[in-house]
Amino acid sequence: MATVANQVGAPAPTRQRSKGLSEKALARLMVSPSMILIALVAAWPVIYAIWLSLHQYSVRVAGLSRWVGVDNYWTSGLSNPDWRSALYHTLIFTVVSVSFEVVIGLGMALAMHRAFRGQGLLRTVVLVPWAVLTVVTAVMWRTMFVSPYGFVNTILGTHTVWLGQTPYALIIVILADVWKTSPFIALLLLAGLQVIPDDIYEAAKVDGATTWQQFVRITLPLLKPAILVALIFRTLDALRIFDLPYVLTQGTVGTSTLSTISQQTFATNRLYGEGSAQAILAFIIVMMVSFAYIRFIGGNIRGMTAE
Amino acid sequence: MRRGLGIAVLTAIALAVTACGSSGSSGSKTTGGSGSGGGGGSSSASVSGAKTLQASALDNPPKGTITYCTGKDTTGDAAYTVAQFNAKYGAQGYHANLVQFPASADQQRAQFIQRQQAKSSSCDVFSSDVIWTAEFSSQHWLYDLTPYVSANASKFIAAPLDTVHYGGKYWGIPQTSDAAFIYYKTGEAVPSTWQQVYSAAKNSGGIVYQGAPYEGLTCNFLELAFAAGGQVLSADGKKSAINSPQNLAALQLMVSGIKGGSAPQAVTTYMEPESDQAFDTGKYGYLRNWTYAYAVHNTTGALKGKIHAAPLPTFAGAGKASILGGHNSVISVYSQDPGLALKFADFFASPAMQKAAILKFSLAAIIPSVYKDPDVLKAVPYAPQLLQALDQAKARPVSPVYPQISQAIYTNVNNALAGRESPQAALKAADSQINSALSTF
Amino acid sequence: MEASAVSSAEAVPRARARTARKPKKDRTPWYMWVAVAAIVLFCLFPFYWLINMSLKAGSDLNGSAVFPHNPTLTNYSAIFKNPDFVASLRNSAIVAFITTALALVVGSFCAYALARLRLRGKFVILGIVLSITTFPQIAIAAPLFKLWSDIGIFDTYIGLIIPYLTFALPLAIFILVSFFREIPKDLEEAALVDGATRFQAFRKVVVPLAAPGLATAGILTFIAAWNEFLLAVTLTATTAARTVPAEISFFTGATEHQVPYGSIAAASVVISVPLILLVLLFQKRIVAGLTAGAVKG
Repeated sequence: MATVANQVGAPAPTRQRSKGLSEKALARLMVSPSMILIALVAAWPVIYAIWLSLHQYSVRVAGLSRWVGVDNYWTSGLSNPDWRSALYHTLIFTVVSVSFEVVIGLGMALAMHRAFRGQGLLRTVVLVPWAVLTVVTAVMWRTMFVSPYGFVNTILGTHTVWLGQTPYALIIVILADVWKTSPFIALLLLAGLQVIPDDIYEAAKVDGATTWQQFVRITLPLLKPAILVALIFRTLDALRIFDLPYVLTQGTVGTSTLSTISQQTFATNRLYGEGSAQAILAFIIVMMVSFAYIRFIGGNIRGMTAE
Repeated sequence: MRRGLGIAVLTAIALAVTACGSSGSSGSKTTGGSGSGGGGGSSSASVSGAKTLQASALDNPPKGTITYCTGKDTTGDAAYTVAQFNAKYGAQGYHANLVQFPASADQQRAQFIQRQQAKSSSCDVFSSDVIWTAEFSSQHWLYDLTPYVSANASKFIAAPLDTVHYGGKYWGIPQTSDAAFIYYKTGEAVPSTWQQVYSAAKNSGGIVYQGAPYEGLTCNFLELAFAAGGQVLSADGKKSAINSPQNLAALQLMVSGIKGGSAPQAVTTYMEPESDQAFDTGKYGYLRNWTYAYAVHNTTGALKGKIHAAPLPTFAGAGKASILGGHNSVISVYSQDPGLALKFADFFASPAMQKAAILKFSLAAIIPSVYKDPDVLKAVPYAPQLLQALDQAKARPVSPVYPQISQAIYTNVNNALAGRESPQAALKAADSQINSALSTF
Repeated sequence: MEASAVSSAEAVPRARARTARKPKKDRTPWYMWVAVAAIVLFCLFPFYWLINMSLKAGSDLNGSAVFPHNPTLTNYSAIFKNPDFVASLRNSAIVAFITTALALVVGSFCAYALARLRLRGKFVILGIVLSITTFPQIAIAAPLFKLWSDIGIFDTYIGLIIPYLTFALPLAIFILVSFFREIPKDLEEAALVDGATRFQAFRKVVVPLAAPGLATAGILTFIAAWNEFLLAVTLTATTAARTVPAEISFFTGATEHQVPYGSIAAASVVISVPLILLVLLFQKRIVAGLTAGAVKG
């Protein structure tokens, strides 16, 4: 998707004028419904959340609220041990799951690329995890691990309470996410692999390069843009993880995340101000990470993709 | 693209500035909030400015139809009561409608709150869980029913009445109650103390209960803690009293039970269904669960006919306690016909309906006379134990921040049970979390 | 980028054909078959497990066996008799369909303008759209939870569709931009020469040609809306608007104190199978849509 921005930026060839609206006026007219909708459905709620986050709404007295400035950000967020552990879990989840997904996805993509005869089957099969709802994914992994339904303890001969112990609960959340998302990354990277011309490999073979050298010198560099795109999207997605921990453990047992803790604060405890502050903190963190990515590797992608 | 994103954010900020003006007025609105809600506990808080319903309102209310909202009517009690009400009063022009919410308690609460926030009159009477009284009444969503309850107080078992009491007033009429039992298989020793339960369980496969981090664990823990003489809040309700030697003794018994093999490690993930399922396998000698489990295990399942129920035992060297469950009839301030709503709530608590509740639907009645009824004694052999359990029952802390207090308890107790925290550290953490919950605005 | 009439839906099969032309000098080595088997097992086993669970009842359920001893369809008949589940299926279908339709109509205008028309600030617009895709949903859920309660559209279709546009619209715009750019300009220019206005050219020439792209965008948007959980669970409370993912997470049995894993598994299978079939049926199109823009340059 990042590259679409570059495609669009390509100068449009001059065209002859046509009747009706001028081209620019028509363009503005066609773009404006989307822009208005986005302002209404995305920007405005976030602004309202900022407003809420600067207040506290009484749970004791009906309709009472007070302005507290940025206090909520400190008391319910940065200085709150529960919020800090949610941040910690979110970061662990993001780093571990995204790393595994990219590595496994790359492995799967290479296998699919090489295994010519199994490719059609594989391409079909890897779409299954992607098509399964995230909530259903959670149900699957829960029933595999929880005794007496699950087989995991039976096979391992253990009596481990997987979803009741740290860090197992978080590990299962990560496993479920890796299962659901690695195949998607594999498809993304497979498409990247397929546009690498065969001639390059042939030439390398002629020069006597080993398979490993080919992989490191040719495949990885040429696949870099696709890997980076996958990395960015997965990271930003992982930082807002909500459904898997919510369904697997209700965000307890060391699986609370930035999203689950905020949802609990405003929806269960009805602390709108505090919950909104936690939501805005999550928003700021995601935005910071996305800026950091664009700062460090954005130029890289641009160079790679803009021909 | 860097430039694109930068501009996007600037645009968002620009939008923020323009939109604040319009959202401001609705956000900071303060209406009717003149209460002195600074307290936090049951006795010190007061709710002022609420509408009061006189006891005489039920005598000749305007003719019409009221709506009774309740969670999923899984027993059939709600439908039966509504049908009986219509049969008895229909001819006089009084009718009741039944609206069912989902089975989950959280969803029922969300449903009711949503209607009250919208000032909707679509629920006249609501079947409110005993732990919601403080929250609903402090938001001015309920009629003050003090005149009615004061006039009829002697009719009810004392403990359920405490659950409608908040800020010096009564906000509802008890409907049905609930308390936990220790269930055991034929042949197991009948325990008289919690310590005995744990030592007997060690030799009979173990005890299963609800140890997952959720409301049920708060009940499980408080049953032992209250029996040991512990408290959650100080007498004035303003401070946490969770970090006490009594509570520590209770928690240590539970923790050593898991460490010593009296309870399976898996109880730290059990809610009611999992504990029933585990008990049903026959591997465990004891089960702690609510009244409904008696019917479940004795009519279906592998242990049919081999299950006995005992009231919760004493804590050695201290007393006994159980935690009160159940529901109350509360009347919405947005009701168009509060008199008729009161008539319905009064009807629900009448001896005839209460007898039907326990006899036909295995629910715990809230008036004592029902438990001495010969029909009841014949059909519900555990009725005397149930009354005893209700008599010794205590209410959970009545506070508008109860959800946070309960979270503090169940998260930390679960941490201790699973061995992630020492019992001392768990109570210390719960203590500071409860205190911060109490200081919530 | 090729200027010929190659839609991106065909890009991947073409690339595959190129691979196919490679002379097969060595047969697929054994370890490749191991890798293939491992991938198939990894992807399919959990779903098989779910089907296995859904066919178990009674004591089978507690058995942890990887196949049902007494397979039964009772779980399936039970869930279709569950009015809450049936209602949630209807809610999901309505919400996802309306969201998709709105996103396609509004998004296609925007995408066409971005792909084809002269417009200042395209970068800014696309930057805004891009930044919306990274929004954590929680930042929208929190304020809307209060706002929807205040204005009375909590637990309604419209209360879900509005926030769903935050992800549906950018998704549709991105996919459509890449499809619109690949439609040959000649046909459009010919229409203009014939006296059509720009908008007529868009409506009569571009939209029909972009039908595969619209279908791709539609499928992906529909799946995203069907899958959404955080907003569904936060902004609904009853069968009035509760969608399938939220319903499954709250699935209770006949009483509050039962968790019927057999029925949950059956419900999960029922809602997954149509989606899997849809995805497999349109797999080339979906893969093209998912990877569009990511690898081409």
